[in-house]
Amino acid sequence: MAYIRRNDKPFGIKQTPKETLEKWYYLMALGRTLDERAPNYLKQAIGWSYHAPYAGHDGIQLAIGQVFEKNVDHLFPYYRDMLTAISAGMTGEEIILNGISKATDPSSGGRHMSNHFAKPEWNVHNVSSCTGNHTQQASGVGRAFKRYNHKGVVISSQGESSVSEGYVYEAINGASNEELPVIFVLQDNGYGISVPKKDQTANRKAANNFLGFKNLQVFHCNGKDVFDSMNTMNEAKKWVIENQKPAIVHASCVRIHSHSNSDRHELYRDKGELEYVQAADPLAKYRRMLISYGRFTEDELNAIDEKVKQEVKAAHKAAMAAPDPDPKSIYDFLFPEAYAATKFGNGSHNETGTPVKLIEALNTTLKEEFRNNPDTFIWGQDMANKDKGGIFNVSKGLQQEFGPERVFNGPIAEDYILGTANGMSRYSDKLRLVVEGAEFADYFWPAMEQFVDSAHDYWRSNGKFSPNITIRLASGGYIGGGLYHSQNIESALASIPGVRIVYPSFADDAAGLLRTSIRSKGITVFMEPKALYNSSKAATAVPDGFEVPFGKARIRREGTDLSIITYGNTTHMSIDAAERLEKEFGYKAEVVDIRSLVPLDKETIIASIKKTSKALIVHEDKVFAGFGGELAAIIAEDAFSFLDGPVKRIGATNTPVGFNRILEAAILPNEQKIFDAALSLIKY
Amino acid sequence: MAKKEIKAALIYSFATKKTSTAAKLIKENLNELNLTEIDAEGLNAGELEQYDILIAGAATWFDGELPTFWDEQIPALEDLNLKGKHVALFGIGNQVEYPEHFGDSIGLLADVFASTSAKIIGATSTEGYTFEDSKSVRNNQFVGLMLDFENQHNLNESRIENWCKQLKKQLT
Repeated sequence: MAYIRRNDKPFGIKQTPKETLEKWYYLMALGRTLDERAPNYLKQAIGWSYHAPYAGHDGIQLAIGQVFEKNVDHLFPYYRDMLTAISAGMTGEEIILNGISKATDPSSGGRHMSNHFAKPEWNVHNVSSCTGNHTQQASGVGRAFKRYNHKGVVISSQGESSVSEGYVYEAINGASNEELPVIFVLQDNGYGISVPKKDQTANRKAANNFLGFKNLQVFHCNGKDVFDSMNTMNEAKKWVIENQKPAIVHASCVRIHSHSNSDRHELYRDKGELEYVQAADPLAKYRRMLISYGRFTEDELNAIDEKVKQEVKAAHKAAMAAPDPDPKSIYDFLFPEAYAATKFGNGSHNETGTPVKLIEALNTTLKEEFRNNPDTFIWGQDMANKDKGGIFNVSKGLQQEFGPERVFNGPIAEDYILGTANGMSRYSDKLRLVVEGAEFADYFWPAMEQFVDSAHDYWRSNGKFSPNITIRLASGGYIGGGLYHSQNIESALASIPGVRIVYPSFADDAAGLLRTSIRSKGITVFMEPKALYNSSKAATAVPDGFEVPFGKARIRREGTDLSIITYGNTTHMSIDAAERLEKEFGYKAEVVDIRSLVPLDKETIIASIKKTSKALIVHEDKVFAGFGGELAAIIAEDAFSFLDGPVKRIGATNTPVGFNRILEAAILPNEQKIFDAALSLIKY
Repeated sequence: MAKKEIKAALIYSFATKKTSTAAKLIKENLNELNLTEIDAEGLNAGELEQYDILIAGAATWFDGELPTFWDEQIPALEDLNLKGKHVALFGIGNQVEYPEHFGDSIGLLADVFASTSAKIIGATSTEGYTFEDSKSVRNNQFVGLMLDFENQHNLNESRIENWCKQLKKQLT
């Protein structure tokens, strides 16, 4: 490649206007002053207990912030990006407010860890501490840019070690495949905490691992040098916008200090290395150059240093006086606003028309909602290829009607499917995303890190951002599917705050809950009992526009002798068992289909137990640590005085689900097991 | 052999260990050139225009970079007019630890000096080295003298001797 003189590049010590050089020096001095003062807050027990110093990354961080255009571009900074945030426009006071976790911290109101700088109103996103997982969200924003013809770039910033994470590979692969306008900036300081990069990947420059990716341009720069970083970031941004394809900028940095204030780098770095990286201090280099090339006098720079000093002093004072978060606020912003599904009261009806199967109800509702709202999108594995529409054809015909821009396949990468849904939500809160989270719920586990992160988003951002996603999961067994096509994962998911979980067992409830999910803000896990897709037992009439509110159980059979509290596949078995009890013994068991696990309709459950004094909890999942344990605990705590017997549970054995039908039958609950337990409890 | 009135300079960081060691040996082997030693740290680039021959040395830092003190000089060096001057470069690299950018420093300096119209001399064979890539390779040769103190320390003296003999011939 022909040599391009530094003096001929857009930015350089000789050609950059003095006011620009001054602005950069000011930002760098401000950042470094805060970076150096941050540990003092911990020493004085004020806060900032997590601080990852950025010294040594100054060039690239300045450049990221400078090329970022507020409200046009989107920026995902990572936990070492203090100067990036400052260069993007955040003030010293805002940085300290985050550092000491004040209520007015613009990033999260003191909820997220310190050193996680964000300003969601500018599209400087609040991200997880899970290193590099925002790459998938960045790809999601990039997809939204494409869908809405938005001109801008998404910048995802991260350390080079994060590239060892599989989800980063998924994100870059997806951006390459979908040709998304994303710049992935890898700030390479040679370490992942204490792990040297030779233990991360074979290439010393991790970006070179991606050289074979189609549609992707890889840039390298010296992240310690202001001018090289500025030139490279500008070139990368221009290339991405012109080509509408992704790029990686690999910035060579040094880490002058320890990873964070809980790390002691002298345990694994010798004196020689520490002197070596200190000698490459980017701020010192920039200052020397400003003086040696006659662009500034030492006095001029000292004056800027003094201005910064005074500014930081004032910022400190203001931040210290700012209010702390109110402990009463902990439940604020746990769930964003749900759609007010009031048209059918608590979600029941008296329609007596032709029954439709559960799968048809889902398909029809999806189509109706997609017609109703042009800002809806659906994707997943097996979603759309000619006549194939979803692994079980739930979404059949959607692509034909709504086109490949709104209905499309995802790669076999569950985390990416969910992570890009999170990202698309960041583009605009008018979007409503539906994903088939995995081919089967059993394969959703790789998406758990995006799931947990997305569950936190609304709370963590102090109400500034909510991913608006319906996660459809074909769940449960009874199909002879064995260990990996029979799992129920709702108890694990229910342990994570911030997501709604619904599990219908009839066609009408499936339609009503799906409609409410798609219209609501926030995340709803929509569990589909796949064994019931085509079941005549689950088929019902479905009124036009049927809606079911979250957190409303439905009494599927009235009774006075026993309450069977259930959901999903076992609702039907419970009803059958209840009918036998009446037919054979004259006992009347009430069947409460909770429909919605989170939020839970405690009121209806307790009211039923008041009436029957007996509680049998039935679900398909394992009894041990299943969701029924939570139900039993609630009943024991809130309805103990109404009980005339122990709370009993029926569910799967604490084993995987065997493939042979004989094993499956032995493991999963069935009508007989429910019947026996119910009879025993009634007679107790 | 260079004429006596020719002015020659040897530029390297005096604070370094390996580069300084190499520089001292080079000076001994090129005694006839009466080399003026210049500290690369604090270099006034403009002074270089008075010399006819420049011999510059630098280690490779990090993943293929010039030492900071050299890097800072590049905008000043680019503005020099070294037409008719000869520049020879020597560098330090580590082919085992950093095979992907072995001794990039002399390639980086060669680009800068070439942009000043100087004539780069002193290319050497890559035979005897094992590495994956280097910015210092041009036409299958190193653009200057490559030394590896960590892995081929015992070859340094002979490599320096041979290189200095080569320079003398090229300057004749």
